[in-house]
Amino acid sequence: MELTKEKLLGFYETMMTIRAFESKAVALFAENKLPGFVHLYLGEEAVATGVCANLGTKDYITSTHRGHGHLIAKGGKVDLMMAELFGKATGYCKGKGGSMHIADVDLGILGANGIVGAGLPIAVGAAFASKYRKSDAVAVCFFGDAASNRGTFHESLNMASIWNLPVVFVCENNMYGISLCQRDHMNICDISDRASSYGIPGITVDGNDVIAVFEAASEAIKRARRGDGPSLIECKTWRQRGHFEGDPAIYKDPAEQQSWLEKDPLPRLAKRLIELKYATQTELDQIQASAAEQIEAAVKYAESSPLPALTDVLTDVYAG
Amino acid sequence: MALVGIIANPASGKDIRRLVAYGAVFDNLEKVNIVRRVLLSLASTGIREVVFMPDYYGIVPKAAEGISEKHRLQMEVSPADICITGTQRDTLQASLLMASLGVDCIITLGGDGTNRLVAKGCGTIPILPISTGTNNVFSVMVEGTIAGLAGGVVAKGTVSGFPAVQPSKRLIVYKNGEAIDSALIDVVILKDEFIGSRAVWDVERIVQVLVTQGEPHNIGISSIAGNLQPVSAQENCGLTIDFASNGTLVRAPIAPGLIEVVQVNSYRRIMIGERVAIREAPCVIALDGEREIEVQEKDNVFVQLAFDGPQVVNIRSALHEAVGKGYSRLPPAE
Amino acid sequence: MKQMTYAEAIRDAMRVEMLRDPNVYLQGEDVGKFGGCFGVTAGLFAEFGPGRIIDTPISETAIIGSAVGAAAAGLRPIAEIMFVDFTGVCMDELFNQAAKMRYMFGGKAKIPMVLRTPCGAGMSAAAQHSQSMEAWFTHIPGVKTVMPSTPADAKGLLSAAIRDDNPVVFIEHKQLFGLSGDVPEGEYVLPLGKADIKRTGSDITIVSWSWMVQKALAAAEILAKEGIQAEVLDPRTLVPLDKEAILQSVGKTNKLVIVQEAVQTSGFGGEISAIVAEHGFDLLDAPIKRVTAPDTPVPFSPVLEQAYLPSVEKIVAAVKSLF
Repeated sequence: MELTKEKLLGFYETMMTIRAFESKAVALFAENKLPGFVHLYLGEEAVATGVCANLGTKDYITSTHRGHGHLIAKGGKVDLMMAELFGKATGYCKGKGGSMHIADVDLGILGANGIVGAGLPIAVGAAFASKYRKSDAVAVCFFGDAASNRGTFHESLNMASIWNLPVVFVCENNMYGISLCQRDHMNICDISDRASSYGIPGITVDGNDVIAVFEAASEAIKRARRGDGPSLIECKTWRQRGHFEGDPAIYKDPAEQQSWLEKDPLPRLAKRLIELKYATQTELDQIQASAAEQIEAAVKYAESSPLPALTDVLTDVYAG
Repeated sequence: MALVGIIANPASGKDIRRLVAYGAVFDNLEKVNIVRRVLLSLASTGIREVVFMPDYYGIVPKAAEGISEKHRLQMEVSPADICITGTQRDTLQASLLMASLGVDCIITLGGDGTNRLVAKGCGTIPILPISTGTNNVFSVMVEGTIAGLAGGVVAKGTVSGFPAVQPSKRLIVYKNGEAIDSALIDVVILKDEFIGSRAVWDVERIVQVLVTQGEPHNIGISSIAGNLQPVSAQENCGLTIDFASNGTLVRAPIAPGLIEVVQVNSYRRIMIGERVAIREAPCVIALDGEREIEVQEKDNVFVQLAFDGPQVVNIRSALHEAVGKGYSRLPPAE
Repeated sequence: MKQMTYAEAIRDAMRVEMLRDPNVYLQGEDVGKFGGCFGVTAGLFAEFGPGRIIDTPISETAIIGSAVGAAAAGLRPIAEIMFVDFTGVCMDELFNQAAKMRYMFGGKAKIPMVLRTPCGAGMSAAAQHSQSMEAWFTHIPGVKTVMPSTPADAKGLLSAAIRDDNPVVFIEHKQLFGLSGDVPEGEYVLPLGKADIKRTGSDITIVSWSWMVQKALAAAEILAKEGIQAEVLDPRTLVPLDKEAILQSVGKTNKLVIVQEAVQTSGFGGEISAIVAEHGFDLLDAPIKRVTAPDTPVPFSPVLEQAYLPSVEKIVAAVKSLF
């Protein structure tokens, strides 16, 4: 595992940017500035960061309804994202998609997705395209524990396996499908157990440890890139907020919430960075401040951006 | 009344070695099946009470529930009163609690890593380790039915002492003068900064290895010792190995399907009680195959070999002795 | 020009387009060595190999879902669903993913893919293998829907569908696979959204598509003998729809009968009827008539199925009722 100081500080910066973006979204939603639904990634930052650190622009990801973290980690621009959350013309989707549908095809981001489990076959298709073109690009599919109960999961893992496609299925097991805890929605506790049914390797890692995620994803992605086929990584993590903003999450045990807050991926990485003398607390504070600044600038950009023209309703339905 | 403890680790057999090596997948359904067979065997030897480590998946309750009406257990199967955290802590807590309950034998399902934690809590209670992990030297691949029979005869006291139950060694890690952890098989010093995904497979990162035992038929890092100068479980010594480029080339099976060549600079036997200093810092120390301890530059770390590890059931010897004592012969039917 | 069956024309379009563009490939259930459930893809596997003619598991969701992903990544997949009745299994991939990605992403994605699928009754395949589901697809903005009635149209429109940068549902008809006709050789592309007058007439307009065009033409023959000159207009593509051509024809004949094989309620015939009522009310001398299947599942027994299907006789009767 070759991890330089620069790389580790980069992880911290990305995680902090996601945290700042999401924390701001909490505030903006509470102030009634964001229309629609927002599903936040707070607490799961290590997964997107650790995985996407192994990807380049040519690689693909498919994301979920809880997609802000994946987009930021894959290189998405926070000002365009924020403008989209505000429904502005300058947003990633010109205000036509909103939080759940941000995409940047040029960066290989094939979209957040409002349908649970819909990204799986799309990632399989992107991986197919890569193999078809004899490119070494890899597709990574993020999905949640509950999505692994959908037929798309079964069909996609099976298809990827028989065609030996360069796709890595990253399950963010945050222990809840909306309000239903994992033990009430499946009769197994490790989603990695499902991989062997499709003839592919499946492993479980601590999803709140960015290093563990990075290391596992690095091996899985290298494996896919050299043509050794798909794999499944289950990252055990925790959704610190409700399913969407406005959900008070009364279905969660406060003690469990507390125990997971103690495993928050950001302080955990910070502690180790300081121990290794890779950064001082002051330097980490600076990273935090600059992330917050960047998000404030994004909000300013979004707020000062124009609304879409009403005639835009009719455009972009068809290409050509 | 004989009491048997069962600690089945739901997390074993799922680490990164299924990606970087060719490790078997041990899904929890298979662990349920193994425990079911263990329970049936225990019942046949007359065990009426079992206490188990609770886990999120419910391996043991599922095993008990799944037994057909025809083979219904005359047995009380109850959870150890611990708080489930879903971490390594559960194993240690369960082990400590079982020791305080005075169980007569603890049957474990996991790898060497699982048994390392059980050993930290079980005191002198014999362990019967069934392998459901990846690289296992301490725990053995054995059919659950057979393991249950051996556990039963030990717990009932049909057999006791050597060779049915054998002592084991351990390596104690001292950091800044304090014993902080221990290993049953190997202590591996890695030039790493992070525990990360825990498993050890990249031999390039290894700078030093200490083993309590290592034989050519073993798998894992301790197999390097096995292929250099074998040390058995019952010998009064261990081995320390230093690695360096341009050293002697040694081939060893360090993970499932991974037969690697390592470069050994020097190696020597170490005696019981002997202390060996760690010569790399910062580093990460792996215990029984899992990266556990992050060492900083300022830390002073050494490792000591001791012959005070847990008592381990030798399945073959235990059953041989039990048969000798007539355990398998029943009084004639009336 | 070459004599080809409708099935051969479809195959020829795929072949020509695959030779022309290396990004085009075909995937579906049994499309490879087996040659397709109806023999439509026979020989393509031998010519293009398993890399481009791809047998899939029975996984409609993944067939369409992966086509969406491959299209988003720049390929031009043709994905076959063995029967249109099976598209329910992959509907999310079509209507929530393929159809909406471009719009949701603010015009920054293209999903150039074709979903090829056969529809229609007439072979006692019963309720789950005989339906005409085109109204499902026409109700989804972002998807184009094509339903050719002749071999030449099948080739020209499929080529256009493959070259189109949008998801196109290309619905073939099982009863037409064996129909022969003249088909241009080599590259042949017809525009999507252009209706074709299959028979000119001055007394009444019959709008129909797919297999029903053939029925309408047969009805027109009978009607001609009785002195009624029917114009048979085939829109060929339902989305985009050539509304102009329909209004123009109705402007000439002042009467309209719409023939669809699908069940009546919420069928596409109702949409055409509404368009003419909205934009051509003054052109009409008589109420618009629809000839459709009844609002029931497709029955199995041949006698019941015949009773269910719109027939030449029913079309003739409907036309005559307006005179």
